[in-house]
Amino acid sequence: MTTTSMSSDASGGAANASSLADPRRASWWVLAIFLFPALAVYVGLTAYPAFRTFYDSFFTIEGLDATFVGLDNYRALMSDETFWVSVRNTFIWSFVAPVLDVATGLLLALALYAGVPFARFLRVAWFTPVLLSYVVVAILWTWIYNYDWGVVNLVLRALGLDALVTSWLGNPNTALAALIVTHAWKWAGFNMVVCLAAIHSLPSEVLEASELDNCGWGAKLRYVIVPMLRPTLLNLYILAFIGKMKIFDLVWIMTQGGPLWATETVSTYVYKRAFNWNTFDLGYPSAIASVWFVVVCGAVIILNRLLATRERLEY
Amino acid sequence: MRATAVGLAAISLVALCAGAAPASAQATQITMWSNWPDEPAKKDWVTARVKDFEAANNKCSVKLSFIPKADLYTQAKSAVRTGQAPDIFYMEPDQPEFLAGGFLEPLDGYVDLNQYEDWSKPAWTSKGKVYGLPVEAYTVELYYNKDAVKKVGIDVPASFQLTQDQFTDLVKKGVAAGITPVAQGVGDRPFPGGLLLFESLLRKLGTEEYGKLLDGKLSFKDPRVVEVMTWMKTLVDAGAYPKSFSTLKLGESHFYFYNTPGALTFPDPSWFTGRAFAPPEGGGMPANFSLGIMQFPAMDKGTCPECKTLAVAGSFVMYAKSKNKDCSGALMKSMATVENGTKWMEQVSLQTGLKSDPAKINSPRKDYFAELNARNKDVKYFFGTPLLYYRAKCAETYTQVMNNAFPAGLLSVQDAAEKMDAACFKS
Repeated sequence: MTTTSMSSDASGGAANASSLADPRRASWWVLAIFLFPALAVYVGLTAYPAFRTFYDSFFTIEGLDATFVGLDNYRALMSDETFWVSVRNTFIWSFVAPVLDVATGLLLALALYAGVPFARFLRVAWFTPVLLSYVVVAILWTWIYNYDWGVVNLVLRALGLDALVTSWLGNPNTALAALIVTHAWKWAGFNMVVCLAAIHSLPSEVLEASELDNCGWGAKLRYVIVPMLRPTLLNLYILAFIGKMKIFDLVWIMTQGGPLWATETVSTYVYKRAFNWNTFDLGYPSAIASVWFVVVCGAVIILNRLLATRERLEY
Repeated sequence: MRATAVGLAAISLVALCAGAAPASAQATQITMWSNWPDEPAKKDWVTARVKDFEAANNKCSVKLSFIPKADLYTQAKSAVRTGQAPDIFYMEPDQPEFLAGGFLEPLDGYVDLNQYEDWSKPAWTSKGKVYGLPVEAYTVELYYNKDAVKKVGIDVPASFQLTQDQFTDLVKKGVAAGITPVAQGVGDRPFPGGLLLFESLLRKLGTEEYGKLLDGKLSFKDPRVVEVMTWMKTLVDAGAYPKSFSTLKLGESHFYFYNTPGALTFPDPSWFTGRAFAPPEGGGMPANFSLGIMQFPAMDKGTCPECKTLAVAGSFVMYAKSKNKDCSGALMKSMATVENGTKWMEQVSLQTGLKSDPAKINSPRKDYFAELNARNKDVKYFFGTPLLYYRAKCAETYTQVMNNAFPAGLLSVQDAAEKMDAACFKS
């Protein structure tokens, strides 16, 4: 009797001690109630579709019938010429374009930091494209690239550079680059704002010290500002990289992957296979999506490892 | 006593509501998705048919939506899988996957198939049953600007068919005069760039051999095919198409032809009228435009200069899992009449797969109809465009190569033939 009473007292004491130790800690029930909505949304709209895509990739689905085909879809993918073209294009876009994005954003931020005239207006103007939808941007740039009356060709003609006039989106040699420039134009403002915030948060004593040491603008930029901005620039690069590995909207509206698959990306190819292939089969497009999910995750991990700063800057 | 009164009042109220309910609950609402949000004549025809049906059937109402074709297909593909598709939706025969997937209801038991033109039935027939209501039909025509063609020095013969050399001459003279010879753009469509080439191939090969080419049983390296492609390449290199060919959209190419900057010819299905006959302020053809229709050029040593493509396009199908098949079937039945076929011809100025009564067509476009009928007299029809035959990778290759890259001058004859054979030829 005494023992029971003692153990009961002990457990009660432990519980009391626990709640006394951290009175803010909620019970499991309360935690579950608060977590459930977010978890339900995550499971229903992210985890389950991802799992289902992976699952479907082992089937051929015709109409309402699914036939298990094992790894057949993955084998077919390895010999699919269009898939490899789309992979090449997506990699070019993902590795090259973020450099352009971040460099442009950084330049614009530096221009504002240096106090160019009309800085307030320019900050708004440069950021505005970020607020535009891809549809608007795509239509706008389709006009800009128009062969007959697009501003690019008009300028070239006005400068007497008629030999350079081309159908920018209709020429396989220029179409991908034209899309990359369009995408960079849209996102430069976002990179500018982030870079500007990062520049303003740099320690003023370091910048002042460099000025005291008669450091010119170029040297200050190269040896002080950019190294200190490196974590920000790296994060921007990786964010841009992930976005471009999934690029779809702009390509679909402007070129639909043409001409001659020159702008085909993995996302547009998945869409074509899923919705434009005179079939209801989701197995093959699911296989492409699954492979690409692994590639994107792997590439981000590798990039993080390669580009991460080993020495932590202290200031 | 008071409680009893309140109770009686409540019971009366419930009874009243119950009595009132059946009248509104009886009307079954069906959903219908149609294409043509940007083509007023077709949109008006569909809207009028739905209103007529609702007026005659108080037990059915229709929720009608107009959705651009590409979006409609994408939405329908998702919706049929999940059981959420509309009861009736727009479809063209070049989307056979809906039929193959078992998502379409046969219409045999709902509509009077005698109201269909005989040639339009095969487009929607599978295993002896008919699955679509073929509202829109078309022939592939070569429209031209009579004044401009005359101005550059080309006389269109009484047969309204130029020879291969004469057409080449037309292209060269157009280029020399600074007028684009062939208005065409592929910015938003997978087929227009192939119209001139494939109509020429049809005239060269005849219906049987052309059918083999589209079925993948004849190689694109066949000497006759190569000969036509080589001629086509000379036209392309001479500057037949607009420089903005790759990005010019279908609607824009209409405007390009009859307005700014103007062109000599415009190969287009006869649904050309949907845009051209809209009011000029809405992008339609100017009232004084001298529109003519000529036959596609006759090929040298061609087997069938009188051949022409005929096809069924915009149709309506019923969803196999529709929960309101009675109302849906009744609507389809009410649409499939000779009277409605006549109204379509009258309002849209375009052929239909429904029977019609030419004597009753009262159209302000009578002259146009007369010319269209004249160009379709004594012709030999081949049924279906390339995309009705091509599927999957072959269709995608057609879109990229024959619709775009080859007429854009990006590929040689040999490269184009090799790419098409690799994707389509079943050796």
